[in-house]
Amino acid sequence: MPTSTTFTRRQILRTAGSAAAVAGLPALVSTPAFAGSAAFVHGVASGDPFPDGVLLWTRVTPTAEALPASGLGPDVTVRWEVSASPDFQRIVAKGAVATGAARDHTVKAVVSGLDADTVYWYRFSYGRAVSPIGRTRTAPAAGAAVGNLRFGVVSCANYQAGYFSAYRHLAQRGDLHAALHLGDYLYEYAPGQYQARDVLVRPHDPAVEMTTLAHYRLRHAQYKTDAELQALHAVVPFIVTWDDHEAANDAWSGGAENHTEGAEGLWSDRRAAAQQAYAEWMPVRFEPGGQLYRRFEFGSLASLSMLDLRSYRSQQASNQLDPAVDNASRTITGTAQMDWLLEGLKPTGPQWKLVGNPVMITPIRVPSTLSTEGLGAVQELLGGTTIDGVPYNVDQWDGYQADQHRVLRHLRDNGVKDTVFLTGDIHSGWACDLPADPPSYPFTGDSVATELVCTSVTSDNLDDILDVPPRTASLVVESAIKANNPHVKYLDFDSHGFSVLDITPAGVRMDWYVLADRTVRDSAATLSTSWQVAAGTNKVRPVEGITL
Amino acid sequence: MTTPRTSRRQFLRLASAGGAAVVLSALPGTSWAASPDSGRLRCYVIVTDGCRPEEITPALTPNLAALRDGGTSFPAARSLPVMETIPNHVMMMTGVRPDRSGVPANSFYDRAEGTVRDMDRATDLRFPTLLERLQEKGLTTGSVLSKKYLYGVFGERASYRWEPFPLVPGTNHAPDAATIDALIAMVHGPDPDMVFTNLGDIDRVGHLDLTGTTLRAARDAALADTDVQVGRFVDHLKDTGRWQSSVILVLADHSMDWSVPTNVISVSLALTGRADLRSSITVAQNGGADLIYWTGDGAARGTGLSEIRAILAEHPGVLRIDDPAVLRLGAEAGDLVVFCRAGWRFSDPYIVSNPIPGNHGHPATEPIPFFVAGGSSRVLRGRVSSEQARTLDVAPTIGALYGLHAPAGGYDGTARTTAFEY
Repeated sequence: MPTSTTFTRRQILRTAGSAAAVAGLPALVSTPAFAGSAAFVHGVASGDPFPDGVLLWTRVTPTAEALPASGLGPDVTVRWEVSASPDFQRIVAKGAVATGAARDHTVKAVVSGLDADTVYWYRFSYGRAVSPIGRTRTAPAAGAAVGNLRFGVVSCANYQAGYFSAYRHLAQRGDLHAALHLGDYLYEYAPGQYQARDVLVRPHDPAVEMTTLAHYRLRHAQYKTDAELQALHAVVPFIVTWDDHEAANDAWSGGAENHTEGAEGLWSDRRAAAQQAYAEWMPVRFEPGGQLYRRFEFGSLASLSMLDLRSYRSQQASNQLDPAVDNASRTITGTAQMDWLLEGLKPTGPQWKLVGNPVMITPIRVPSTLSTEGLGAVQELLGGTTIDGVPYNVDQWDGYQADQHRVLRHLRDNGVKDTVFLTGDIHSGWACDLPADPPSYPFTGDSVATELVCTSVTSDNLDDILDVPPRTASLVVESAIKANNPHVKYLDFDSHGFSVLDITPAGVRMDWYVLADRTVRDSAATLSTSWQVAAGTNKVRPVEGITL
Repeated sequence: MTTPRTSRRQFLRLASAGGAAVVLSALPGTSWAASPDSGRLRCYVIVTDGCRPEEITPALTPNLAALRDGGTSFPAARSLPVMETIPNHVMMMTGVRPDRSGVPANSFYDRAEGTVRDMDRATDLRFPTLLERLQEKGLTTGSVLSKKYLYGVFGERASYRWEPFPLVPGTNHAPDAATIDALIAMVHGPDPDMVFTNLGDIDRVGHLDLTGTTLRAARDAALADTDVQVGRFVDHLKDTGRWQSSVILVLADHSMDWSVPTNVISVSLALTGRADLRSSITVAQNGGADLIYWTGDGAARGTGLSEIRAILAEHPGVLRIDDPAVLRLGAEAGDLVVFCRAGWRFSDPYIVSNPIPGNHGHPATEPIPFFVAGGSSRVLRGRVSSEQARTLDVAPTIGALYGLHAPAGGYDGTARTTAFEY
């Protein structure tokens, strides 16, 4: 049962209307009964685009008492329609989905039979109630020549740390093929546990750390009432994976840093609850007990392998000096997922091999020139100890060096070009070459892939931890890390925001946009920097005239 | 450049821009006069032997980069097994896999002669090439190949040939400056409709890089010089009014990888404990690939090969072991193909037999530059394609430009028509 209920009818109606306004979509079809606009208060979403179809999502609130995690409300049938035109004069597919309290009244419809690389509009209805209209897009046909793709790229959106202006800016662009969410879509903490420095911008609901199915459902429901998140969901399909905070901080297959076995129940139960709520509330082709890692293809231009780096990983090493970091028996992917990943990173098939990668794979060593204060701040950002010259974060691939080496060696051995890891997690922006042999990189410059890391939507980063203004003390730390790791070409430890990824046959380019102030509504966003990877080079370089 | 002067029969002696003599040969009866210019399409296939795609940059190789960026490029292009010079040049000119051409590698075990030798004889190539097939349409072709063994395998197939000279001792190839001299002389003289050119300096310097790192400067110098030579050729086309009718297809036959001295695989050494197996095979070394031929008791072949496969698979430097048939390499490739990992090399029969760290032949050396340029209005400019072009695609691509029918049995390659206006 829920520990609290925060939704009033007035709040629900306000949220539903504002999302449509943010997205610039047609207003809700209003009906006088409760089961009118309020029936779809959590918005609509689409996800996992294939050439012939897409997954549609919503949640229905069929009766006033059928609130999230309540366990109340009738079993109902929700209808859906897909149209080739925004006025729904050309319906191309329709159907119905049964739902009820057993799945928290969430609705997922897998639509097939659509045309490839085509924009569609969709809506749900229940009784006389009609949902907001969503817009989605199918993927290009297998093998088709594709001139370009453009993705929004986001991660690490802590509701308590600010407003989701990043989502609004992406929603308003109107030029995205999809939004990639690389994890930490929501956070488990109770109010006061993790916020914007020492400011609680918006308290989490429920007001406890989420550990049960009801908690996870309520938290998902709270996030889904955010108008800016709803707006982005409504205009582009999401392609998501989870990182740790969808369950608990620094999760691994048998537990998590932020889980106390016994006092907080069994990890297996908690993880199952987190995954069930995720399956219910996210527009993703995943159901409890299933497999989250999956691959998409966008014609001959790109594939996108979305990884799950939490479900199968061994426990993190205790620190960077722990011999376990390069123990061959430890894994971050699990054997089956590693085999699947390497199968996707092959010379044949789509040109660009994009990898949705929840944690960084670039080898990073802690520099010896950091001040005590700097070391302490990095330590807090990473949640572990930092010692000169050793891997800087054992929660990343650096803490699982056997798997890290296996991927890099595979790329090098097979002459695989144009692999780009797209990463979140670390609340900072990075552009890196991926040397197969870091010691010789300064002499050879040989790189087997690249990594582009988006920063956090709102979650704290280095200046927040140091409690200094942005782009002050962090600059010293960034310089030291880049000097000690010459394959790191760009690093911004301070900014919050989002990225836009452009993919063409000639190259991949990421633009980093930063928010003026994550703690205020309607924050402006400005382009900070742009880096690109020219086809065939496996190297990042600044986009001329834009790099700061 | 001097006015061409024909010899009495099939030889033509020209003076190059540098003053040295360039001698071309032709089949008896071949005219040395260039074809009329109106409506002609000139095609030049230039192979920058051993060049890695990322090595073509505006700073280091401005002429090649300008050709690439001004035409249509295929950044996902690959060489094909075995990633060696002879088989990939043969694939370029035939458009078919080695199981049809008979040329799977540089070095193979000739069962008839009972020896390991280079595939450098014209009789080794048993499939018609573009060089003679275009002549069937009344067109003329030329071969300007810097490596002695390439001249050997293509023999007298082209209408006009240049025999590489002078040869660098130890490498058996002509420097790029001499090769481009010959190309310019051939174009200035008989002016064939299609010329196939190999530039060997980048590859040869790559092989000589004994450390894989410290002599990178030498390779950079080779790249820069090759680029200058290509620039000379482009300038010649422009200066003589041929540019507007020209299509230039630039590619490499394979890439290059460097190993460290400790990363050496010796099949003989790996089989030390199995003298019976070691004495039952013959190995043909091809840089990063070994071809293994069963030469022992036929009754023991199946079991023996399985045991060899199992033993070699345990070696840390072995990437994979393939059945030649899977790779469509044909009977000439033997019974097993063993590929090394990046940063390794094969050395047989002894660990010191192959001291050269710069190698190719293994999958790490598959990526190649591949782009279409030239002044012809048929070339699409500023285009980049995701298509995975291969060395195998050269013949169908050039053939399509001339409306040449596919050979008997069809091509195995694909015409990269996305580079052209049709």
